Amino acid sequence: MKTPRTGILLACAWLAATPLPASSHLDDPAQLVSDTAGRILTRLNENHAQYHQRPELLKDVVREDLLPLLDVRYAGRLILGRSGRDASAEQLDAFTEAMSNLLINRYAEGLLQFRSEEQLEVLPLRGELNERMTRVRTRVRLESGGFAPVDYVFRRTDGGWKAFDVVVEGISYVTTYRNQIMPEVQAEGLDAVIARLNQGQLVLSD
Amino acid sequence: MMSRIERPARLAAVLLVTLAVAACAGTQNRHTDPERDPWEGYNRKIHSFNMKFDRYLGRPVAVAYDTVMPDPLQRGVANFFRNLDYPVTFFNQLMQGKFRESGISTSRFLFNTVFGLLGFFDVATRVGMPAYDEDFGQTLATWGWTDSRYLVMPFLGPFTVRDTLGRSFYGYLHPISYAIREEDMYAPLIIDLIQRRASFLDADAALEEAYDPYTLVRDSYLQNREFKIYDGDPPVTDYDAFLEDEP
Repeated sequence: MKTPRTGILLACAWLAATPLPASSHLDDPAQLVSDTAGRILTRLNENHAQYHQRPELLKDVVREDLLPLLDVRYAGRLILGRSGRDASAEQLDAFTEAMSNLLINRYAEGLLQFRSEEQLEVLPLRGELNERMTRVRTRVRLESGGFAPVDYVFRRTDGGWKAFDVVVEGISYVTTYRNQIMPEVQAEGLDAVIARLNQGQLVLSD
Repeated sequence: MMSRIERPARLAAVLLVTLAVAACAGTQNRHTDPERDPWEGYNRKIHSFNMKFDRYLGRPVAVAYDTVMPDPLQRGVANFFRNLDYPVTFFNQLMQGKFRESGISTSRFLFNTVFGLLGFFDVATRVGMPAYDEDFGQTLATWGWTDSRYLVMPFLGPFTVRDTLGRSFYGYLHPISYAIREEDMYAPLIIDLIQRRASFLDADAALEEAYDPYTLVRDSYLQNREFKIYDGDPPVTDYDAFLEDEP
């Protein structure tokens, strides 16, 4: 009879020790997406000309504002799947780092095409919120007048909701990268893949 | 009379090319997705033929078109052809029981045709009429043919068996096919193809960089297809399975 109560007490203590989110929006992934997008786009609009000339500055903005929202470690594990089973912690870190750099570069390049906040519309969640995972759906207005649907898949972590996948018109980054990278790791080894990802990053930031 | 003889000849030429490509390419047999792509060996051969065709003809033409045509004009051409998809969209909405949506598609078509200079301007989207994307392949999928084998077609690119069958109904409803069948007019088809190719020029770099462009095209196509079949609301990927040790 003693153990369960101790367990409950311990759980309470742990809950109390966990810092409460500063505001309730940390509990709402949809709000997180529109806040983050708003913040990045505001910074983009303030210095648009400058970022056009020096895109690496925009990458820092993305890194500062977007990266804390992402669970890149988890995304990396999903992408590597069983091919990451034998990897060392250092290799996993290096892989995650290389992947997130690549992603940040791509995102920053895409951002330069953006003009205003009105181009992004966050759709309301449709009963998809469960304890562990949820999908935030947005629509990006294209120059052509049409929309591109972009979904963000979130999971609940100890540090709040974090996104680990982006799905553009149904095409998931995680799934697509995974299908590319798993065979490559099997054929050439994880270190070779990390080296190539890092190289790609150099080419892109030219 | 001439054209009646010509058409089967054209088809025969396509088949011959296909066979020649299949025969001369290597016999490498990879199986990266045995469930959805059991004909990967054949598909890879057609894929590499298509890529060569694209490198020497498709892409250069699209690049030239992209250089000459200002973006707003390109958008207009794309809008014009998407507006012509209406009969196919409408019919398939009916076949799928999407009556309300078929009504919107009709208003959309009329609105864009009348006020958007025959569809050149997509004014309907601006006043809140959404564009729907339905075709015969999607109808067959909603009727229960959800999983279909991946099949790369010569010149046409990624398909599934279901969507190839769906595509063959096109000729009865699509104005572009009608122009070819009744008027022997190939210009609309060719312009549509060039415009479509030009809209994908941005994706070339990613494709070039890919470790395996074949699987990148296949996976993107199949995912996007499922997305359309479920009208933008496909079941969430089973991410947990990604972490498990099964092949």
